[in-house]
This record gives sequence, structure tokens and C-alpha cells, in this order.
Amino acid sequence: MGFVDKLKGLFKAGAAEAKAPKAEPAAAPKAAAKAAAAPAAGGSTMQGSKYAESCALQPIPGYVPNLGAPANGKIKLALYWAAACGGCDVSILDSDEKVLNIGDMADIVMWPVAADGKEHDIEEMEDGSITVSIINGAVRSSENEHMVKLLRKKSALVVAYGTCACFGGTPALANLVAGGKDEILDYVYKKTPSSAAFCEAYPEKPHVPQSEIQVPEGTLTLPTLYNSVKSLDQVIDVDYFVPGCPPTQETIEGLLDAVVNFVYNGVALPPKGTMIGVTKKTLCEECPRTKENRRMDKILEPYQVDVDPDLCLMDQGILCLGAATVGGCGAKCTRAGQPCRGCYGPTDAVSEQGASVFTAVASLFPIIDEDPICKEDKIIDIMSSIKDPLGYFYAFTMSKSLIKRSVKEGGQ
Amino acid sequence: MHVLTSLLEESEFMADFEPRIVAFCCNWCSYAGADGAGVARLQMPTNFRIIRTMCSARVDPEFVLRAFSKGADGVIVLGCHPADCHYIGGNYRARRRIALLRMVLEQYGFDPKRLKLEWVSASEGEKFQKTIVEFVDTIKALGPTPLVKGDE
Repeated sequence: MGFVDKLKGLFKAGAAEAKAPKAEPAAAPKAAAKAAAAPAAGGSTMQGSKYAESCALQPIPGYVPNLGAPANGKIKLALYWAAACGGCDVSILDSDEKVLNIGDMADIVMWPVAADGKEHDIEEMEDGSITVSIINGAVRSSENEHMVKLLRKKSALVVAYGTCACFGGTPALANLVAGGKDEILDYVYKKTPSSAAFCEAYPEKPHVPQSEIQVPEGTLTLPTLYNSVKSLDQVIDVDYFVPGCPPTQETIEGLLDAVVNFVYNGVALPPKGTMIGVTKKTLCEECPRTKENRRMDKILEPYQVDVDPDLCLMDQGILCLGAATVGGCGAKCTRAGQPCRGCYGPTDAVSEQGASVFTAVASLFPIIDEDPICKEDKIIDIMSSIKDPLGYFYAFTMSKSLIKRSVKEGGQ
Repeated sequence: MHVLTSLLEESEFMADFEPRIVAFCCNWCSYAGADGAGVARLQMPTNFRIIRTMCSARVDPEFVLRAFSKGADGVIVLGCHPADCHYIGGNYRARRRIALLRMVLEQYGFDPKRLKLEWVSASEGEKFQKTIVEFVDTIKALGPTPLVKGDE
């Protein structure tokens, strides 16, 4: 039985209950029986009796379909997509049947990827009238900044959803381009092979998108890029953080349950600033692999090794960031034989995830016999086996790192 | 870290570039070496502030990055000579970390010469003085930290 079928079954069961409030679970089989008894009216194949039967007879264990509207009316929910890939928006649908709770509980006032609701609709709302705004993505342009500030003003709670919103994420690696936005735009619109050909063919046109242009009717503007990509809490006040790239299903359920319990049962929300869905300890605590605390002679990629399914990846020479990453994801990647890339961010105890990783990694290289007489070059050789240390160790947390962006020696 | 903040903030802007340098000294060798240099009245520039750590391996890369992020122009880590570590292998760990950290700093765009690791034993007051003089000269030649605050 596919997921879509399950959903349809739930909608059916929900509809039956709506007709008869406080319907006992038997309502669903009854509805199914009715459907089975009636001939497939109007030649509707989708509502065929066999289909209805299969839906109704297999309720999802443990799920209470259709919470109904909350006693105090529906809450207002906004979801926004800033500088991110869009995976976070999709991940919200990962909550499977629980996504239906959202529909029961909330009016979605804005969700650019899935629902209507425009900027001016939000502007017209009273301050603080949106109950929860779930914002994914880092802040990279003037548009991002404007929208997140607007949503902050109109919302009682703001959730930084996903690694980009929490720590800057992958977009924040753009901070490592020394020339900032000008260099990025210049490269993308003038130097990539296709753009270079265009520039050659049309040398007189402005090749880089302009943020402002004069036309007879007036001035047209576009949002501008910023030199540094920021995490959400570096721009606005954030109440809760939900890390993950994207957050796992369990993490999303943690967030949903907290909101549902608050709305329906009045259970107090967690304290402000809470990271939702993370544990106190590192990923290694959740990882089922056995650790033998071996030393690493050299760094290997997963494709270079026949990965032992039970042994710690670090012991096998694969660079895994689990030791410096907070748990909560259930070690999905390491269970599948892929090293942790650190998307859940650092633990409470450290502020700098990257530094925390390379402290650990550097110590894993064995002390060799010739260490006392070893030349510096030799050490650099050993450490050079780590390619692109900055990009690897700070893949998700560049905005929250201490240095934050690349610098230029000899003045700007 | 609080010490670090206050130390860096106290020095004021001067017309001639006077670098602000943070020196991490290991308790067993280099700190005693620095002490020796002081007792022997060896002349040194006053651009450096010493932070004593129990071992050079105690210098977490985060400390160094924090020093740079607070505006330090250079960071020097001083530890026991190889085979001389009070904790047997701490200085080897420090050496690997500093090598990796220099790669990271270079990727950020810092000149890796802004971070130096040197071995100074408890009896080497003179070497301490020489190291500091050389490092201050290096940083003076490099100029102020390239870190720009508030770059949007």
C-alpha cells in the first residue's frame, strides 16, 4: 500500500468522522462496507470498492486521524524559503501522515512553494498575528533580509528550520570567495564557458544583472546579493532552531509534536533558543559502529575502501565528522556507510565545529618513531592528505565560524 | 577567553603599526623560558601577550581562531622541544594541529606566517627573546591583520 493510498484512506476516514462526531474506529469499516455495497457509481474507477476496502481495513497503527480544529481556533502558520536549495520545504512533507495535522491545526498564510499568500498579504496582517513562522535558508540577499524581518515582526514565534537557517549551511561557503559578491557575479555571468561565449557575441550589453535600471516608466529594482551569507539568528531574533540538511523525519516530528501539544493541550513550549531534535552528545553515541580507536595513516574516500559495515569509519581511514557533530539524526549516513558531514552542527559545549573536528583529526594521525627528529615539511606532507580542510570541516557552519569569511592580505 | 578579549582591547591604535601578538606558552618549558628571559633582563618588543597553557596541545585551534577573530595580528604557540614534552606526546599533537590550522588560515586568506609554532625549553631565555623579536619583525612586515570587521 503506497503512501498516496494511505493518505486517501485517511481522508476517507476523516470524512466519515466529520459526519458523525466522536466516531468510533468502526466508522471506517462501515464506510468501507457502504462503499463496497454500492456499485461503482458513475464509472468512477478511483472510488472502486476494492480500493476503498483496502484503505479502510488497514488503519495506520498509532495514528489518530483528523485532530479537528483546535478549540481556540486555528493557528496561523507561515513557511518561508530564503537562501537554500528547497530540500527543507520538501522535507516538511517527510512527516508523512502527520503533515495532515498541520492542515487541521493551522491556516497556512504563506508557503511560497506550496500555498498562496503574498508579501502584501503578510504586510497587511497585524504585528504578532502569525503564530509560528518556519523559515529555512540562510540570509544572502536584500530580499531574504526584508522577508525574514517582516515575518519576525508579524510572528509570535520564529523557527530557524534546517542547517542553512541555523548555521549558514552550504550557501555560506560563498563567504570563502575573497572578492565577495562582485567576484561571484563576475564569474557566473562572464567567465563560465556559456557566459563567456555570450559576452563575446554581445560585448556591449551589461552582462551582470543590474540591481536597478531606469526605464521610461520609472526605476525597476531587483534584490541585491550580500558579500557575506548570514545565518538567520544573525539577522533576526530566533526562538527555536531545527538543524539538519534537511531535518530528519524524527526531528520534524519533534517540532510538530511540540506545536500540536501546545495548541491542543496547552503543554508549555520548550525554552527559547532550544535546538529541537538534537541530543546532548555527539553523533558517535548514536552510531552503531564499533570503535577500535585505531590511528589513521592516511585519509581515504568511501569509494576507495571496501567499507566494513560494523567498524567505525574513522578507524577505516574515512574522514567522518561525527565526533564533532551533535546527535539527533539517528546516524543515518554512517549506518549507510557514508561519513557524517556535520549537518546537525556542533554540540552545546563548543562554538566552532570545524576547529573541533580538526583537533580530533590531527590527533588521530599516529605518533611515528621519527617524530622527535621529524622536519616540518614531513608534518605538512602528512596533513596535506586532507584536501580542502576548510571546505570539509566548515561545510555547514561557515556563517557561525569565528572568522566568518575569507580575508585579503595587504589591505582591501 | 575573557583574558584574551581584554588583552586585545587594551592596546590602542597607533600611527606606527605596533602588532598585537598572542603568545601561548606551555607551562613546563616555554613559560619558564619566558621567565628566564625576563630574569636575565633580555630586551624584547612589548607587542606580545602571554597566555599560559598546561601544554602546547592544550591550545585548541579554536583559541587561535578566536584570537584572530578578535583582531590579533599574529599568534605564536610555544612548546617543549620534541621528545621533551611533560606529557610525552603533547607537542607532536600540537605540531599536527598547527600545521593543519595553517592550511585552514591560508584558505581563509591569512598569510600562514601569522601563526608560528616554536620550541623553547625552560633554559632557553635567549631563544625566547630571539623568537619573539623575529616574529614581531615578521608581523610588522606583513602589516595589520587582514580581518575587516562588519563587512556586509
